[in-house]
Amino acid sequence: MLKLLQNEWMKLWNKKATWVMAILLVVGVAGMLGLTKWISTVEGNRAESGNVQVEGQADAPDWRMQAEAERNGISAQLADPDLSSSREAELKEDLQIVEYRLAEDVEPHGNYSRQQMIKDSSGIATLAMLFAIIVAAGIVATEFSDGTIKMLLARPVRRWKVLTSKFAATALFGALLTLAGFVVSIVMSYILFSPDGGTELVVRGGEVAEISVWTPAISHLLLAFVNIIVYTTFAFMIGSVFRSGALAIGLSLFIFFTGSTVSALLSRYEIAKYLFFSHDLVALAQGMTLIEDVTLPFAAAVLGAYAVVFLVVSYLVFSKRDVTA
Amino acid sequence: MANQTEPIVELRHLSKTIRGKKIIDDLNLQLFPGQVTGFLGPNGAGKTTTIRMMAGLMKPTSGEVFVAGKSVQNEFEAAMSNVGVIVENPEMYKFMTGYKNLVHFARMHKGITKDRIMEVVRQVGLENRIHEKVGTYSLGMRQRLGLAQALLHNPKFLILDEPTNGLDPAGIREFRTYLRSLAEKAGVSIFVSSHLLSEIELMCDRIAVIQNGKLIDIREMKDEGRPHHYIEALPAKQLRAILESKGYEPAESGAGFIIEEGVERIPELVKSVIAGGLDLYAVRPHRKTLEDEFIELTGGGQIAEAVAK
Repeated sequence: MLKLLQNEWMKLWNKKATWVMAILLVVGVAGMLGLTKWISTVEGNRAESGNVQVEGQADAPDWRMQAEAERNGISAQLADPDLSSSREAELKEDLQIVEYRLAEDVEPHGNYSRQQMIKDSSGIATLAMLFAIIVAAGIVATEFSDGTIKMLLARPVRRWKVLTSKFAATALFGALLTLAGFVVSIVMSYILFSPDGGTELVVRGGEVAEISVWTPAISHLLLAFVNIIVYTTFAFMIGSVFRSGALAIGLSLFIFFTGSTVSALLSRYEIAKYLFFSHDLVALAQGMTLIEDVTLPFAAAVLGAYAVVFLVVSYLVFSKRDVTA
Repeated sequence: MANQTEPIVELRHLSKTIRGKKIIDDLNLQLFPGQVTGFLGPNGAGKTTTIRMMAGLMKPTSGEVFVAGKSVQNEFEAAMSNVGVIVENPEMYKFMTGYKNLVHFARMHKGITKDRIMEVVRQVGLENRIHEKVGTYSLGMRQRLGLAQALLHNPKFLILDEPTNGLDPAGIREFRTYLRSLAEKAGVSIFVSSHLLSEIELMCDRIAVIQNGKLIDIREMKDEGRPHHYIEALPAKQLRAILESKGYEPAESGAGFIIEEGVERIPELVKSVIAGGLDLYAVRPHRKTLEDEFIELTGGGQIAEAVAK
């Protein structure tokens, strides 16, 4: 089995497109952080020139004013009688943190601080997902379209093993891209942004506690990877069932881009909870829920179930199919 | 030849129905070690389907294929480890070198060393170009690489689907000699499908003819049948009269006739033609070609569908 995986890995990296994707990922992530840096510089200049005029009145630091505004906003939302219980709990936690900050004078990380950049580095997952989908869509389909499938399957290796090696190669590629994007993002955060004196807070067991930004950074990355796996499994299934890489890429991306809109439209109905594209685990972990009463474990279970179904369909079709290409 | 040996490959009651249409109908066939069997049939007769079922690429609706006593359907890995396959236009991974392609396929078999890979590369004469990308290869070189990948694991049974497509005449000849020596020296059983009847004729010990999914004939190539002669003289009408008077049934062929006759009575026949004042242009032994027989057997090779209706 390891030899089959070696084969898939060799075929993958002998294609120019794979290298192009890897390079685009690195350049893209570095570019995004560069752009953020540029925006922060522009904003910083504007803020400085503004500050000159109001310097006299501003004795409270900016963050306190923002925190107060946030506190008022949350309180207003909590006053809404239609609030779902899960949403209410989230808002209460947010409120607890804001109040703690104001009471204990604990500054949050600035938007353009190194820590904030590290915390948000799971954002690279979108780019990694795009490329992982492209690979997943083509890894079975191109064997059919190039006619090499006949050479591949007329061997003393059962088909499920061949398919497993292909899926493993896809997952490994997705993991590699995610990790590479993360590393580039971290390195660029260190190069371009300077740390500030803020502190990351979280509510743990009813109490506000300090945590390192690395905790959300890594946990969000792992959650984003779960999403990547589900979408790549979908693309993998379409690619192996319809033997068309283009269809698989198109359909996966279509669902990725329109999925949240569709779920938002359907959010009043129970069914929205059971659609795989409704659940962005990172957004959930950050407390942004599209659908009421969806918890992280529930969403993860739904995604897991979908991934299993996608794989079962791929295996059934692939191992039964008559090769006529 | 009478086969005292056990067959290496056996098709037992093989049938395949696709969308309600019987493509292969109760096919039974045995192939023996050291023998080259040609597989002939008009387009659409079911050659490719049969070959794909033997190569494990398609599943029979009923019946089984056995290779070295193992069922391709139920003991896939054990059966397939004895099979080498070259499908028409061997499609290799164009973006990799020939060598990497061979490494790729070698990893799918047990115990193929680097030395073995290079040995096969030398056998097929690709050593100079093996580290170049397959995309730069000519069709003939791809055929050689296709042969190399099929031979890596020393299969006991080799399936070739239209193997000489794209080979030049010298390449075809070399390929044929190579296959014959594989069969004779290594005892490999070879099953070749081809449209090139003259090729099959030169290469095979035995032919199997399929039409409309049924095996209609299996014969040894050594049975040449009774000898024939071709005779051409003008005027043709008088020649026909002479031939008929001597008890032959002359069959028209081009400008002359074919008669069933060995060499013994030919001088006598020539004398009477000349004595009759005819101008004799040609007398030569005539051997029915495989093509003649094939067309006789399959009724001119119409598209099978038309016959099936």
